[in-house]
Amino acid sequence: MRKTSLLVCLLVSFLFSFSQPSKLPEVDKSPMDVSYYPNNYPILKIQNKTAEPLAARVLYSRPQKQGRKIFGELVEYGKVWRLGANEATEIEFYKDVKIGGKKVPKGRYTLYAIVSENVWTMILNKDTDTWGAFKYDSKKDMLRTDVAVQKTDEVVESMSMFFEKSTTGISLIIAWEQVKATLPITL
Amino acid sequence: MKKIILATLLPVLLVSCREPEKKPAGNDTPSKADTPIKVLPPASNYTNPDRSPMDMVYFPTDYPLLKMTGKTSVPPLMRIIYSRPQKQGRPIFGGLVKYDTPWRLGANESTEIEFFSAATVAGKTVKPGRYILYCIPQETKWTFVLNSNLYSWGLEQNRLKDLMQFDVPVEKTNLAIEYFTIACEKRSDKSTTLIFLWDDVKTKLPVSF
Repeated sequence: MRKTSLLVCLLVSFLFSFSQPSKLPEVDKSPMDVSYYPNNYPILKIQNKTAEPLAARVLYSRPQKQGRKIFGELVEYGKVWRLGANEATEIEFYKDVKIGGKKVPKGRYTLYAIVSENVWTMILNKDTDTWGAFKYDSKKDMLRTDVAVQKTDEVVESMSMFFEKSTTGISLIIAWEQVKATLPITL
Repeated sequence: MKKIILATLLPVLLVSCREPEKKPAGNDTPSKADTPIKVLPPASNYTNPDRSPMDMVYFPTDYPLLKMTGKTSVPPLMRIIYSRPQKQGRPIFGGLVKYDTPWRLGANESTEIEFFSAATVAGKTVKPGRYILYCIPQETKWTFVLNSNLYSWGLEQNRLKDLMQFDVPVEKTNLAIEYFTIACEKRSDKSTTLIFLWDDVKTKLPVSF
């Protein structure tokens, strides 16, 4: 019996090893996702329900908490963090906006954060299409702005980013574990 | 003897009747059709990752990694953003993805392709910029379509915004590919073959810069 199951195991693994060309990109453990302002813009667009033009889009990869302590440990305090996983997080503005009182021309930027317990320093950087924060170059910063963080009621398992309408424009909300940061953007 | 044959056949028959419901081996996710549209508004602000996760393909391949490791100092040439549905035991082409009907080349949003410099796609010149890419699959031929209706959900194509079409033959793979996959096969520093793979189908789109 043992021999048979061993044989079956070998056969199965043999078949599996040939099931897909090994060079093909696998599915990421921290999958990429996208958020828009207005929220769900692509769906509104095909339903002809867009009330305002597309203002912003954020592309990021979503790591999971998986029982780990995130802030202060996995994401160390005082260090530049890519706000996600894999490629650096990209934020694109489809019109000129203002962040932290500074004008930001429309275009693609990389978004990083320096995380600490009570305040996050958000960094908008001009160097796009890069991986993580490993080659972060402060000379290419567009701006830095400090934002306050709050505690969420629920534990957020998958790091989440989305836009919300605010009194002065919109806010980019970034949440993971029980921490929520809010970056105000003036449209 | 007859009884024995019947007794032997009966379980076999029963099993084969149940066969269509059987899940493919090694697949623990339920076999369900893709959610056509995201639920509006979401139940919680903190949504789960999509079932058909988004992914990104650069040419040069893995450009962000090349950049991070200092192996490139020139800008990228092309980027594709698409979502990756899974086969989950379903017949795909001619089944889930209907022939002669526009298909978003993925799931969720329309597939986006951006050329960072002027390109030649299957012999035709394409201006630098961002487009959406979809296809109209047939059994032996796919028609790829470049379209300007950016930031749209992939269920409906605005055919009035079609810009260009490319017909390519369909090839068969030996084994079924579980996740819809787009990848770049490098031909030179400035030219690549975009490959599209799912189930037992493979198509190619040559792109050069």
